[in-house]
Amino acid sequence: MGKYRKKVQVVVLLAVLIIGGYAIFQSFQSNDRTNLVKVGQMAPDFRLANLNNEPVTLSDYIGTPVVINFWGTFCEPCIREIPSFQKQYEKWNEQGLEIIGINLSEDSLTVANYARKFNMTYTVVRDVDRKTEKKYGLRSYPTTFFMKADGTLQAAVVGEMTEEQMDEHIKQIMQ
Amino acid sequence: MSLLDFSSSIFIVAFFLYCFAFIFYCIAVSGKKWSNRDPKVHEARWSKIAFITSSSGLIAHIVFFVTRWIGGGQAPVSNMYEFITFLGMAIMVAYTIIHFIYRKPLLGMFALPLTIIIVAYASVFPQEVQPLIPALQSIWLKIHVTMAATGEAFFAVGFAAGLMYLLRVVDFKDSSKKGRKAQRWVEFTLICILIICGFIVASFGFKGAGYIAQFEQETVAVSGVGEIQTKVATVEYTMPPIFKPFNSTAQYITPFLGIDNALLETPSWFDGVNAGRKLNTVVWSIIVGLLMYAIIRLIIRKPIAAAIHPMLDGIDPDDLDEISYRAIAIGFPIFTLGGLIFAMIWAEIAWGRFWAWDPKEVWALITWLFYSAYLHFRLSRGWHGRPSAWLAVIGFVIVLFTLVGVNLLIAGMHSYAGVD
Amino acid sequence: MLLPENTKCECGHQNAVGTVLCETCGKPIVKEIIESSEPLEMRYDGVARRSQKANPDLLDKIWNFFSSVKIAIYLIIATFVGAMFGTIFPQANTFINNFEPSIYYEETYGTPGKIYYLLGLHNTYNSWWFITLLVMIGTSLVICSIDRVLPLYRALNKQQIRKHHSFLTRQKVTYTTTIEGNAQQWVQNYGQALRKKGYKVHIDDTALLAEKNRFSRWGPYINHIGLILVLLALLARGIPGWNLDGYVKVVDGDTVPISGTNYYVKSEGFKMELYDNGELPESLQNTGRVKNFETNAILYACESNCNDDYEQPQLTEVLRHTILINDPLRYEDLKLHQFDYDLTPRINAVSPMIINKETGESFGPFDLSMVDPDLSYEVGPYRMKLIDKYMDFSINSDGEPITLSREPNAPAFIFNIQGPNLKETGEVFMYFPLQKDKVRFSQNTINRELTDKIDIKVDGMENVSFSEATTFLNVRMDKAVKYLWIGAIISMFGLLLGTYWQHRRIWLRIDDDTLTLGAHTTKNWYGMRAETSYALGKVGIELEPKSLDNGGNKG
Repeated sequence: MGKYRKKVQVVVLLAVLIIGGYAIFQSFQSNDRTNLVKVGQMAPDFRLANLNNEPVTLSDYIGTPVVINFWGTFCEPCIREIPSFQKQYEKWNEQGLEIIGINLSEDSLTVANYARKFNMTYTVVRDVDRKTEKKYGLRSYPTTFFMKADGTLQAAVVGEMTEEQMDEHIKQIMQ
Repeated sequence: MSLLDFSSSIFIVAFFLYCFAFIFYCIAVSGKKWSNRDPKVHEARWSKIAFITSSSGLIAHIVFFVTRWIGGGQAPVSNMYEFITFLGMAIMVAYTIIHFIYRKPLLGMFALPLTIIIVAYASVFPQEVQPLIPALQSIWLKIHVTMAATGEAFFAVGFAAGLMYLLRVVDFKDSSKKGRKAQRWVEFTLICILIICGFIVASFGFKGAGYIAQFEQETVAVSGVGEIQTKVATVEYTMPPIFKPFNSTAQYITPFLGIDNALLETPSWFDGVNAGRKLNTVVWSIIVGLLMYAIIRLIIRKPIAAAIHPMLDGIDPDDLDEISYRAIAIGFPIFTLGGLIFAMIWAEIAWGRFWAWDPKEVWALITWLFYSAYLHFRLSRGWHGRPSAWLAVIGFVIVLFTLVGVNLLIAGMHSYAGVD
Repeated sequence: MLLPENTKCECGHQNAVGTVLCETCGKPIVKEIIESSEPLEMRYDGVARRSQKANPDLLDKIWNFFSSVKIAIYLIIATFVGAMFGTIFPQANTFINNFEPSIYYEETYGTPGKIYYLLGLHNTYNSWWFITLLVMIGTSLVICSIDRVLPLYRALNKQQIRKHHSFLTRQKVTYTTTIEGNAQQWVQNYGQALRKKGYKVHIDDTALLAEKNRFSRWGPYINHIGLILVLLALLARGIPGWNLDGYVKVVDGDTVPISGTNYYVKSEGFKMELYDNGELPESLQNTGRVKNFETNAILYACESNCNDDYEQPQLTEVLRHTILINDPLRYEDLKLHQFDYDLTPRINAVSPMIINKETGESFGPFDLSMVDPDLSYEVGPYRMKLIDKYMDFSINSDGEPITLSREPNAPAFIFNIQGPNLKETGEVFMYFPLQKDKVRFSQNTINRELTDKIDIKVDGMENVSFSEATTFLNVRMDKAVKYLWIGAIISMFGLLLGTYWQHRRIWLRIDDDTLTLGAHTTKNWYGMRAETSYALGKVGIELEPKSLDNGGNKG
């Protein structure tokens, strides 16, 4: 009986190995419950208005290392970080670094007042309807992404950073 | 007299008819040995009387169900009282169907007390018609609950026949290690049933005496936004507190046997609504159940199982084995449909998730897996007779845990169908 | 293991290795079974399973492992025992916000909680070992079915009518007697009686095979195919884009994007209704039992500028639906479910008057939106410039004004006002639209002497626009779910076939005057005996159905 027996066995066991292996592999993956954009992936693109209401598109920055910082005036640690970002911007800008501060869907008046207060000279854009922050999978603020010149993410930092930490990360994307 | 009042009255009628039917079955079985009669004629006559009585009880029960549905304006399967009474009714339906297939009247001797206990258990819960909360306003409530209960009712009949089988075949004179082990476990099963009776007796006893105790409980919860909230709630006990609620102070306690304060505190990890009260109730049920057991032992002066065993002489154990198996085989597809597939359909409609690993769902799955293991054992591994009967008994324990235990011990999305 | 001894039956049929009963005449061919007097084990009609083979190699051994029903049962037991562990403490995925399992379990449940977490039981149903068990069950379902269904099909498809004596007498239902008269006629009559009971009757001279409900033999396999489909559907949910599980928060009147999709949802208002005391029994009076809650929702599809946050997206209405708990909004694969609500009102805009306190004149009203308001206003003789605003006003530890959130919980506006009897460069006036904030942050003290000159005030509730409630909707998309239902239907269909119908067969042969009868069924021997004896009764042999019982195990 069954001249195809061996073939059937091989096909079935192979299918089980592939499908079952995939299922078990997935079980290791799904333990990570955050949706945060992962290191190594391309930073999701966005097109947002800056304080002069001109569009700023992330993909235009490909070829440039970029720090993307999500901040809001309601977030105290975010506010504490801003002077450090400004200093880092002044330090590295000539070597090509760009910083984009994405405000977390607040009023243009509020954002403009803060930008003036902290002398923020780097690019500040406003997210609307929280769409960009959702795209990046944010769960808490501040969250900062370090994007290499090729558009992939070198690091994602959740929470407040010291200036030294920022410097460390920036050095890595400037290489 | 309103329809609902009529409904309550006819329910009591059904309850008493079940009790009488049980007595008649006992007469049918034990009367065979009485002198001056032909045992066959006696059994045929009394089991016919008993069956007519139990069927009348079932009709009264169905009338209760229908009038409550009409009078209350909603299917009476929406709270614990209604669900348990429905389960009792479903067991009677399942029993009647099995009776028509096999015409073995003596099964009634075990199916009826099961129904009586379940119906009495139902009466412990508040009996008023409670209008439905939005989550339950769905046609799937009726479909899912009634189907699942019907499947479980067949499992109950399988359990009754399985237990009866064990009582029939276990040799109470055997003093070998194996024999004693079997005797002990059968006795233990009966004690568990007595503990359930203990719960009913304790509930009615303390309720009748108007017992009341109150505690103020402080609970700390972390809200969705991460704030710590402290809530103070009053917990009311209707049984003397052996265990008081976790983190609570007594407001008022009726002294009982001179004890006027709680002896112990419920551990914090007991989950669910009113965990302390539930634990206290369980402890009281065990105390009363064991007390009843001790009294029975004192009267009959031998293990209960050994006392029942001779009554079952003359029943073919093979028939019991097959009845138990058939009842489970009939119940299994019904339970699959009602307890799993319809449950998934409703969950898909209501929550958008057909399966959420909610404890109640998981236990329904465990029940299903258990009975599928039972069927495979039976079909392919040739487990018949004793092992099979034990599985039928254990299976029903799992069913009961799914129905009652999960609500008692584990919090989850089904907790609105609260137990106590 | 069965020895690969002589598998050729005396009837001349060459059987495969592993065959228990001759495929043709049914005579036992395994030594132990020939010698035993127990009723025959009729599983799969005694044919060899596919996997039974003389010299198994590694592949065969793996195959044999999964083809064993014993292993399948152990897998089922392991799965439900494992599932039990998962219900001891709540699973990690039942918590939504900022949940840290490594702390939570120990803090809440003490040492048992810590052990629970360390064993990974907080995530039982996604753990590698639970998934592995399910995969193994799936494998077992596939292999067990393949291994048995084809041999069984062949065995049932070409049945010999005249079976061996020992096959008949060793059935669980069997009967032997002597008859008088024409044997052929007798067989015809008995066949006729069985036809009335729905049997298909095959007659070969003085031998008979009556069979019914053979299809029920396929029930278990159909059931297993359905279950395999269910397991594959569960797995398919992991395909990117097949499964979406999120939620949106929609304040009355707002239109919000549904992330992960191309849709926007607007709430035209959330409504909640409580039961009247008249509808409630005594114990539930005044408990605020909810009768109904619903969200009037409009679903929009984005036509253009969807991934562009600079331009306004172009939306087209696709569906209006009142979402109830048991009645979600459905559009193609997308579903929006009522999940939660919050009845805290949110202020959207006010239309206050500006009052010259010295003359008592009032001007306005003017419209002031909470979100992105205009920056300058001309109201009567006053010119106002908005110089700063806070959504959720508070003072931090350094005494500076801050906003605590981006929600208008405590909005505050700082105006520079020019007008009659005010400094030419304007004077700064702070305005709290909500009365509670006005008191809490003492607006009058902040504005000092300006308080006596002017005031900004809302005149009546009709000049306040607010949203009454917030609804939370679960966003779900599950493309695999339809395959799950198909699997469930197939499985259920197979289960019904296999349990509510039974395959029954009666074999009979008459040699000279001796009648030998055997009968077999998959389950319900009671019914099998009853039908056999009923038909015997029709041809003049009255007997108790129970007397046909040959003892032995009943399946």
